Amino acid sequence: MDIYQIQDIDHFYGDKQVVSIEDLVVAPASIVGLIGPNGSGKSTLLKLLCFLEVPTYGTILFKGQKKSSFSGEVRSKITLMPQDPYLLRRSVFDNVAYGLKIRGDTRDIRNRVAEALGLVGLEPENFIRRKWYQLSGGEAQRVALAARLVLKPEVLLLDEPTASVDAESARLIKNASLQAREEWGATLVVATHDWQWLYETCDSVLHLLHGRIFKGGMGCTVYGPWRMGQKDLLQKELEDGQILVAPKPEEGKHMVVLDPSRLKITLPGKYPLLEWNVDKLNGFITRLFLERNGDTVQAAIKVAELVITIRMKRDRVEKLRLYPGKEVTIAYDPRDIEWF
Amino acid sequence: MDFFQEGFSQAVTLLVNRDPATYSAISATVRASSLAMAVSLLLGIPFGYFLGYFDFRLKKYIRIVVNTLLSLPTVFIGLLIYALLTRNGPLGEAGLLFTITGIAIGQTILSLPIVIALTATAVEASDRNLRITLMSLGASRFQIAKSTLWEVRLGIMAAAVTATGRVLTEVGISLMVGGNIKWHTRTITTAIALETNKGEFGMGVALGLVLLLIAFTVNIFLAGLRRRA
Repeated sequence: MDIYQIQDIDHFYGDKQVVSIEDLVVAPASIVGLIGPNGSGKSTLLKLLCFLEVPTYGTILFKGQKKSSFSGEVRSKITLMPQDPYLLRRSVFDNVAYGLKIRGDTRDIRNRVAEALGLVGLEPENFIRRKWYQLSGGEAQRVALAARLVLKPEVLLLDEPTASVDAESARLIKNASLQAREEWGATLVVATHDWQWLYETCDSVLHLLHGRIFKGGMGCTVYGPWRMGQKDLLQKELEDGQILVAPKPEEGKHMVVLDPSRLKITLPGKYPLLEWNVDKLNGFITRLFLERNGDTVQAAIKVAELVITIRMKRDRVEKLRLYPGKEVTIAYDPRDIEWF
Repeated sequence: MDFFQEGFSQAVTLLVNRDPATYSAISATVRASSLAMAVSLLLGIPFGYFLGYFDFRLKKYIRIVVNTLLSLPTVFIGLLIYALLTRNGPLGEAGLLFTITGIAIGQTILSLPIVIALTATAVEASDRNLRITLMSLGASRFQIAKSTLWEVRLGIMAAAVTATGRVLTEVGISLMVGGNIKWHTRTITTAIALETNKGEFGMGVALGLVLLLIAFTVNIFLAGLRRRA
């Protein structure tokens, strides 16, 4: 049975719609990544999945059943680590043991706390007696994660767990999170800006824009100002003078998204089929990255102020001999551009 | 200005020689303020928590009323309690006028708004992620309330310290409701007022120093609690 089934949810803060998802299913023991700009609804979606908030409209089913915030199953099986995790004004031991104590599950508690601290790379003997204010940012983040892992939750929701920590802490947090799935089959939903981590580890990655799932993958978002161009198309002049062309938006939409699966990459001046309705942008590759399936490569291409992602087959990378720093041309059909 | 020096040496003499009148005043002060503080904390902490934690329609107005009550003059409270407890008053039959309990009732009215307002402020100022953290770790509503109070314990302690200071040092209520009866309801502050009226400034200063010593002892105790917390 699916862990989550989201059916037509719309969530509002006052008049502002923050999440709108028609249909989403999360399978047990899967890792789902959420990616998107700030304010795209990632944190709100995680709160909804943790049943901390109830969607204004629609339903979220947990294992096929409707749940409320304080239902026993939700409290014991789902846990969320917020973006700025709060450490209780207590010792590290008391922080990690808190969840176990309120469950009345104090059997062998010292060893379990030590084990959870070990999972996140904190030596129990050095940290267990420390107060909350004696920890660095990365250590505090890892203690917060240990406080969740010790509960062996069925669902672990992580809101930007590596956003404000150093590279080593980030590595330890990533490893510990993955162990939750390996050791006891936890389902993970992770919101992060670390798209490389997501594409390396997630079974599916959802790109959220304005609270909606953008189906094309990690699209590049472009904001105005736009000016009227030829053929009833809009134009945006980029910082280096290149022009991005887009169709007119529908009412209420003001952001363009470049769908990585609809963009094509080639070498400058070598695009063979320059059709009349295809436009192009020139840039250079900043990153090449192999997806988890081992067959698809993502290329991040810097075009003026934009970083545009393109997905392609691995053999195309070999054929074009792409490498970071290489100049390339992106070809796109303006009619394929979507407004959000 | 010699009375400061005289007052200091008299204070030491009164305490070392266990002067019965002074110890009676200390006892009345401690009994009345302890009773008042116990009731204030018992009622004020839950009410302050409720006021700080929940959002409801009348919250803003209740906060205004509570904050206004912070400025209650002690003589006005004394007058009200006197009117209530006097033989012909609505609660006259209780026989609480000129008793330590009567003083404690007045002092409770003085300290309760302080405990409520400062507890509510401490709860309101707590990290917005606290509730999310507690809920996501599996806490029930009651556990959330308990843990939130524990998290803001330093703020609540500050409320207790402030209210205790106000109660220990007030004179209007003790004078009007207690009647300043020697060996019975004479507190340190009413004794100071009396000694000043008699022109015994040295004795007044001595009693003032004794009061400060009590306040110092209470604060040392609270500082110990704070360190442990």
